[in-house]
Amino acid sequence: MDNKVKISRIQVNLTQQQLAEKIGVTRQTISLIEKGKYNPSLKLCLDICNAVNKTLDEVFWIEKGG
Amino acid sequence: MKKITDERLVLQNLKNIRIAFIIQTIGILGILGYDLVTSGLDEMRKNPLWTVFIITAVVSAYLSMSISADHEDNKMNPLKNLIISLIILILITTIVGFFVSLTQGFSLINGVIVGVILFICGLIPIIYIYYLRKKRQDKDSE
Repeated sequence: MDNKVKISRIQVNLTQQQLAEKIGVTRQTISLIEKGKYNPSLKLCLDICNAVNKTLDEVFWIEKGG
Repeated sequence: MKKITDERLVLQNLKNIRIAFIIQTIGILGILGYDLVTSGLDEMRKNPLWTVFIITAVVSAYLSMSISADHEDNKMNPLKNLIISLIILILITTIVGFFVSLTQGFSLINGVIVGVILFICGLIPIIYIYYLRKKRQDKDSE
């Protein structure tokens, strides 16, 4: 699943490790989400959005067929 | 030990437990199968592993009832389902009890006892699934 977690994370100057600690998951999970290899739960998505000060659609929205 | 909060790892952990459970079940079946071949059915059932296996099967059957209650489409009224199940159960237990009492060496009392035991054993899951369906219906109508 494509997403903009990596871009959003870099925009707020966080490393994968820092973001992971902020939301209470492991760095590997953040890495897999950024690569699109893990499908996070809505709760985790919201935690990530809060950590990078963005809304859900800014980080996770993908256009259908796009 | 720190509690795992990462949802991905929790999920992975559950998947690992499932694999371990499959291996364990294969092992239990292997041991029971060996017992069955070498010493026969009665010896196999004396093995405590047999009890473990049966209890696990019963627990898993009851747990999967809540899944199938959610999975099935709920056009039928739960009460109607309950009545149909009860009629079938009464029919089966009556027939079995009848044939037991006809069998040589068994009296009418034996037939009645077997029938009643079968009836009770069948009644518990039927009532449980009725309770599950009813609960789900109440939730749907909220």
